[in-house]
Amino acid sequence: MNSAATQSTVLPDAPTPRPRFWQGRTGAQKVFVLSALTPMILYVAFWSLLPIVWAAALAFFDYSARRQGGVVLGLGGDNPFVGLQHFRNMLNFSPEAPLEVRLFHISVKTTLMFAFLIVPLNLMITLPLAAMIESVHNRLRLGLRTIFFLPVVTSSVGVAIMWGYILHPQRGLLNAGLGSVMGRMVAINWTGDPSLIIGPIPVALIAVIIAYLWQDIGYNLIIFIAALQGIPESIRDAAIMDGATGITMFRHITLPLLRPTILLAAILTMISAFQVFDIFQVMTRGGPDNQTRVLTFDIYDNAFRFQNMGWAAATSVVLFLIVLAISLLQNRMLRSEWEY
Amino acid sequence: MATITFRPARKSEQRLRFGRLAVYVFLLVGSLIALLPFVWMILASLKTGPEVRQIPPSFWPEAPTLDNYRTILTDPTLPLSLFYRNSAIIAISNVILAVGTSALFGYIFAKFDFPGKRALFWFIVATMMIPFQVTMIPGYLILAKLGLINKLTGLIIGSAFNAFGIFLVRQFALSIPGEMLDAARVDGASEWRIFWSIALPQLGPALATLGMMTFMWNWNAYLWPLIVLTEQNKRTLPIILNWYSTQHSNQIQLTMAASVLVIIPILFVFLLTQRWIVRGMTLSGMKG
Repeated sequence: MNSAATQSTVLPDAPTPRPRFWQGRTGAQKVFVLSALTPMILYVAFWSLLPIVWAAALAFFDYSARRQGGVVLGLGGDNPFVGLQHFRNMLNFSPEAPLEVRLFHISVKTTLMFAFLIVPLNLMITLPLAAMIESVHNRLRLGLRTIFFLPVVTSSVGVAIMWGYILHPQRGLLNAGLGSVMGRMVAINWTGDPSLIIGPIPVALIAVIIAYLWQDIGYNLIIFIAALQGIPESIRDAAIMDGATGITMFRHITLPLLRPTILLAAILTMISAFQVFDIFQVMTRGGPDNQTRVLTFDIYDNAFRFQNMGWAAATSVVLFLIVLAISLLQNRMLRSEWEY
Repeated sequence: MATITFRPARKSEQRLRFGRLAVYVFLLVGSLIALLPFVWMILASLKTGPEVRQIPPSFWPEAPTLDNYRTILTDPTLPLSLFYRNSAIIAISNVILAVGTSALFGYIFAKFDFPGKRALFWFIVATMMIPFQVTMIPGYLILAKLGLINKLTGLIIGSAFNAFGIFLVRQFALSIPGEMLDAARVDGASEWRIFWSIALPQLGPALATLGMMTFMWNWNAYLWPLIVLTEQNKRTLPIILNWYSTQHSNQIQLTMAASVLVIIPILFVFLLTQRWIVRGMTLSGMKG
């Protein structure tokens, strides 16, 4: 990042870079690069560029794979061009809006709620945990890292099934535990009762959040442990000499030094939170009453269950714009962070 | 120097000792929570049907039995070895493709200048920012046009281009000394030969990391195989696991035994190769 910044400040004064290409390269090297790159570019054009362009085009058509449609990519004909209709529909907030529009609004709200809850919860767990793990001696540290890393490499379907069983209303571990603490039967339907809501947050969404956090914390944990190990021993020793103990040290030394890492981790966590699908699909299928319907699930549902691919593509563009906005924000924040 | 700092150090020492204890208790509880779902799954897989159904449920199995595993392994509707094979074919093919192409293109991006290099690299990085949900719809339509729906090939053919891999390998390849390559050129080695015998061995660690991560992503992948593979005997393990669990929602002990058979073996593979995955994640800030 630093070198890119210096480069861009140097380049304007330097002569145009174009002649530099190929300079000093022999014919054999040109042949090598061309013979490797040409198939790659064709491949990328077909499997990467075409889907992107196609997805953007679909967003402006009323498209279903079941209809014949026009000659080019099946667009046109029975799959008519509708212009900005999908996007205009998204802004229809009246209660009489079509079902898919209302579901879209619900899923945007749920997705935002999920992502903005996941990030602080994740950091509140992973940061202190990483500091604690880093403070114990070597072999124990490796063992702990392995334990917290296990859920990261477990298939999300497995994670959803395991947690679904823990949260099972009659046979689950959580209700049994609560029951034995409270001395009576507890049969809370964590993932299936739409009337369970805490403030604006449905309990079913909290259940998915818990399962996802359990699976996901190992990842940031690793990043933070690595960053903590990068803090020079001398800084820490100086702080200890000045009488800093665990918590003061964490607050006044560790946290400020980790700021760039924390910011990066927060944004990566948020970007991936927007794209979670598996756990939602397996644990709750968007239910109860669409309380855990997220954008990724909405896109999948529209595209492959209702064959409403034009609309689904349009909503996927919205997902892309959200992720893009966060990425750009990340870029700006990180740049100022590094310059400091 | 030492005498000046001695007093505060000792004072904090006592507080530290108490803090130490708290830290260990915290870590113990934390790791128990991390392990609990696995333990609960394994214990349930050893229980009988009636025991799983009793209210409130028991924690330890009263009479541990392997019957559930026997039921699953002899269930003709659940040929696990077939699904293991499907998952393995897809994951291993994709690892080979991703490692091969990323090695070549990462090396080229690091060590050669060519017209359009910047634009191409920018495009590669940009594709990493596009959510999969955007390209999955056209991706499906392409496979449908090619007649590759319900074919394992359908999950392999489009994966040769791995933006993450190219990025990762490029970072590593930048450190290969140019003089080394030039020396080989002077000795008359062809460019492919230089790539194969000089660059590739240097990229070993990066490729191991990439290979392990690609394997993990593909092995655990759910959404894409769910869309492309709709025929039962073409499906991969995660999809089968979910299917089996909905079929047997009243026999959780069977679902849990199936989960153990699907999840645990591969966890050992990941544990053995843990350092490669961990390294990939810390280097790239990516988890797929």
